[in-house]
Amino acid sequence: MMLRDLRLAWRLLLRDWRAGELRILLLALIIAVTATTTIGMFTDRLQRAMVEQSAELLGGDLLLQSPREIEAAWQARAAELGLAEALVLEFPSAVLHDDEMQLSGVKAVDERYPLRGQLRVSRSPYGEEERVDQIPAPGEAWVEARLLTLLGMALGETIELGESHLEVTRVLTFEPSAGGGFFAMAPRVMVNQAILDEAQLIQPGSRIAYQYLFAGEDAALQSFQQWLRPQLEPSHRLLDIREGQPTVGAALERAEQYLGLASLVAVLLAGVAIAMGARRYAERHFDMVAVLRCLGSGQQRILALFLPQLLWLGLLGSLVGIALAWGAQSALFYLLREMLPATLPAPGWAPLLMGLATGLIVLAGFALPPVLRLRSVPALRVLRRELAPMPLRGWLVYGVAVITLALLMWRYTGSAILTAAVMGGAAVALLLLGSGAALLLRLSRLLHRRVGVAWSYGFNNLWRRPLLSISQILAFGLTLMAMTLIALVRGDLLDTWQAQLPPDTHNHFVVNILPHQQQDFAAYLSERDIDSSPIYPLVRGRLAKVAGEPLGDRIQPGDEGAGAVYREMNLTWTDTLPSTNRITAGQWWPEGGPEDPMVVSMEQGLAERLGVSLGDVLTFSFGPQQLEVRVSSLRSVQWDSFQPNFFMIFPEQALAGQPATYMTSFHLGQPQRGELGPMVRQFPSITVVDLERMMDQVRSILDQVTLAVEFVLLFVLLAGFAVLYAALQSSLDERLHEGALLRTLGASRRQLRSGHLAEYGLLGALAGLLAALGSELVALTLYAQVFDLSYRFNWQVWLLLPAMGALLIGLAGFYGTRRVVAYSPLRVLRGL
Amino acid sequence: MSTHPLSENTIVAAQGLGKQVTTAAGELTILQAVELDIARGESVAIVGASGSGKSTLLGLLAGLDLPTQGRIRLAGEWLDELDEDGRARLRGEQVGFVFQSFQLLPSLTALENVMLPLELAGVDKAAAPAATLLERVGLGARLDHYPKQLSGGEQQRVAIARAFAIEPAVLFADEPTGNLDAATGGRIIELLFSLNAEQGTTLVLVTHDDHLAERCDRAIRLDAGRIVA
Repeated sequence: MMLRDLRLAWRLLLRDWRAGELRILLLALIIAVTATTTIGMFTDRLQRAMVEQSAELLGGDLLLQSPREIEAAWQARAAELGLAEALVLEFPSAVLHDDEMQLSGVKAVDERYPLRGQLRVSRSPYGEEERVDQIPAPGEAWVEARLLTLLGMALGETIELGESHLEVTRVLTFEPSAGGGFFAMAPRVMVNQAILDEAQLIQPGSRIAYQYLFAGEDAALQSFQQWLRPQLEPSHRLLDIREGQPTVGAALERAEQYLGLASLVAVLLAGVAIAMGARRYAERHFDMVAVLRCLGSGQQRILALFLPQLLWLGLLGSLVGIALAWGAQSALFYLLREMLPATLPAPGWAPLLMGLATGLIVLAGFALPPVLRLRSVPALRVLRRELAPMPLRGWLVYGVAVITLALLMWRYTGSAILTAAVMGGAAVALLLLGSGAALLLRLSRLLHRRVGVAWSYGFNNLWRRPLLSISQILAFGLTLMAMTLIALVRGDLLDTWQAQLPPDTHNHFVVNILPHQQQDFAAYLSERDIDSSPIYPLVRGRLAKVAGEPLGDRIQPGDEGAGAVYREMNLTWTDTLPSTNRITAGQWWPEGGPEDPMVVSMEQGLAERLGVSLGDVLTFSFGPQQLEVRVSSLRSVQWDSFQPNFFMIFPEQALAGQPATYMTSFHLGQPQRGELGPMVRQFPSITVVDLERMMDQVRSILDQVTLAVEFVLLFVLLAGFAVLYAALQSSLDERLHEGALLRTLGASRRQLRSGHLAEYGLLGALAGLLAALGSELVALTLYAQVFDLSYRFNWQVWLLLPAMGALLIGLAGFYGTRRVVAYSPLRVLRGL
Repeated sequence: MSTHPLSENTIVAAQGLGKQVTTAAGELTILQAVELDIARGESVAIVGASGSGKSTLLGLLAGLDLPTQGRIRLAGEWLDELDEDGRARLRGEQVGFVFQSFQLLPSLTALENVMLPLELAGVDKAAAPAATLLERVGLGARLDHYPKQLSGGEQQRVAIARAFAIEPAVLFADEPTGNLDAATGGRIIELLFSLNAEQGTTLVLVTHDDHLAERCDRAIRLDAGRIVA
């Protein structure tokens, strides 16, 4: 019986397909699966590409920095988890050539370095860059171009490093794991670790940073991090790709949230389209079920015949959707090949399986309830056609659908807050909008007496079926709302990113400006119209005590952020609050310094981590000397501003007498790059750090994220149009019938068409109004809770949405119902 | 409840049948005190004016609806002792239907419409007997046509072929010629009776066509829900 029913169900499905009964449902399903799967695959690949790029900056997926060798157990654990490992040693050292000497940042690497990314070198200073997979041979050194300038030497000559003599064979242009960025601002030298013993560079007490790089599977990395973090000491720093690059990290995180939200909205929209398609499908099968019951089919049998059809439909739609998605994302990557990294990770299986699951789950959640309703079609309908099954008392069925959907959303966004915001927003919006729609519908009746016959026929169509009209207004309204929301968030995200790295972002840092050069250097910059930040003094000091307690007691194990202050810190003084800082507690001192100079302004994040509050006394040590100051204000600092930023700022009087050098940041445009050489010659002691390359990388990542966001918007729009189409189709049968009758009774085509235009136009306008309300409400929540963006009132949407709704839905309805007047009334009356 | 003796030969019986419905205007009696006994192989016409309760009686006898009072026995089973699925099974095995509005499934071809009851009954090769039946009703050349491509008379012939497909013990027909012109209707009646004779089916039909009623073995006349003749 089972097998026979399966075969019969399959035959019925084929017959339905041939007769064109399944098109809408299948189309909605295919759009749903295509949209979500394309987004899924696209973001999956792009995310992996971006992560790889970020990993390239770090040289691995994870970097553990330690002042000494780490415990063997940690390395064993990493090996056990299948993680690859490489060791990099960084330390400052003097490099000699002839009589010239230069303090340099030495990086000694092993054969495994880098785990991610490639070294880039050139064969002449500022020559063409090439990517290489080797590291310097034991007798060689690769150095930055500016070291050659500083030492007055050429490639092929020899430098002395400790006891070893090394031939300089390449110019180093890009090294993964340049790490903290400011860790070593001195010119860079890369050597092979094999020379360290011979060079006798490492002595007890040497200031060495051991950087352990790890790379491997996400899951393994996660579990390694979880295992490792509790064991870290304050002097350890553990960086993953997010922490390594705060700008990129923040952008990636928001982009992931956004793409998640967008896929979710696409699923939701497609779900609505499927629900509408399924309702129409079910209603068009009432007669069939009544006949089947006359012919002896019981309720179970009806389900046994129709549920497999749904399953096959789901599989078919999902597979077609997945195939289309594969093509769509390939085409997209092809179109965008110029903007994307040359090698992209291949599409993974996970998004495909997810697409299949999405298709089946969405179909089950949204199409099951109307199809289940078929079971209760009474057999008597064959004699009395007006008998329809009872509407579902299926809060249980809908409840299950909602829960399924919530789980799906959660899976897509990975964020409970986001899911709750959208589900809650949708539920509240549904309630509000439902009653709002009823109210608006009632108010719009006032128009009735002011419009012509054709228009009042159209409006009457809406009022005669208030429930259908409200459900259509809701469907259109939610669709417009979702589309608006996605467009709004997109605009604000892009603005935020663009603001993050404007073209005049400072791309050079200068340190080691000597006190007597400070005035001259400032003059040098201003004479050449170089945009720079103020020149800040740098005083090296250590935070020793907080409110009398030793600092060590305050630092949580594994809190590398706070651990940074454990080492010597860069302290500064100024009377002017830096432009990228904002006072969040206490007060900034006036020009000329505070009355009591023994105060400090502290960065609030660090204050929170160390449990420091306003008024606490901090003790700093400068060698043997101690300084006690009171925290007079807390500041928020925009760390990704590419300008000098400080944890601690003092009034000048507090640090008077401490030895200081000076630093600043400035922007050099492409045509001004030539200024660097003369600058270094005029101020030989200074060290210039070029951040342009790193910023390029950040920019290219942001560009890609932007692109993904734009693309996703497109799919949400597509899903939205699917809903519109399905909603129109769902009321088409009735309209065709009615139109035929009216034409038989003498209505002109023109009257009917104006009527339809009026009906759908009004429907669209009302939906637009509701969408404006809904999207403002949801945006308010989302911005604050999820995207960390500031919300502002968008008065434009209140004008645009009703107008767009009227136009879009009016035209779509006008077009969709053209069959009402295109077919002869007889054909319509007979054919339905 | 009446204890009318049931003869061996009775295939449809109604005892003390009544049907009331609740409307906005109050309780409305559609049928009352209907006693009926239809023998195997008999042809019976239920006649009466519009609104006299003919179709309601047909629906009750066929087990499509339940009476408010009284009992019905169909093909040896008391309908009130069966649940809805049981009645559906009984219909599937013993009952054929022909309706005024044909009730063909628009998404199925003529052949598939006739195959459907056979497929539901689990007949593996349903196409051959269905095609034979369609040839029998004169539609051998229209097997692949959809209902909307057929005339009214042709559609009703497909419906008749579908009704006879499972060789039912009883065939219920609700105004089978109501939507057809006189000449077409006449041919449909001929077809119905000749198939009835071939298969020995019991025929219960609702009509207000006097010619059709005269062709039956007997006529039951309803007036305001009661049998008057």
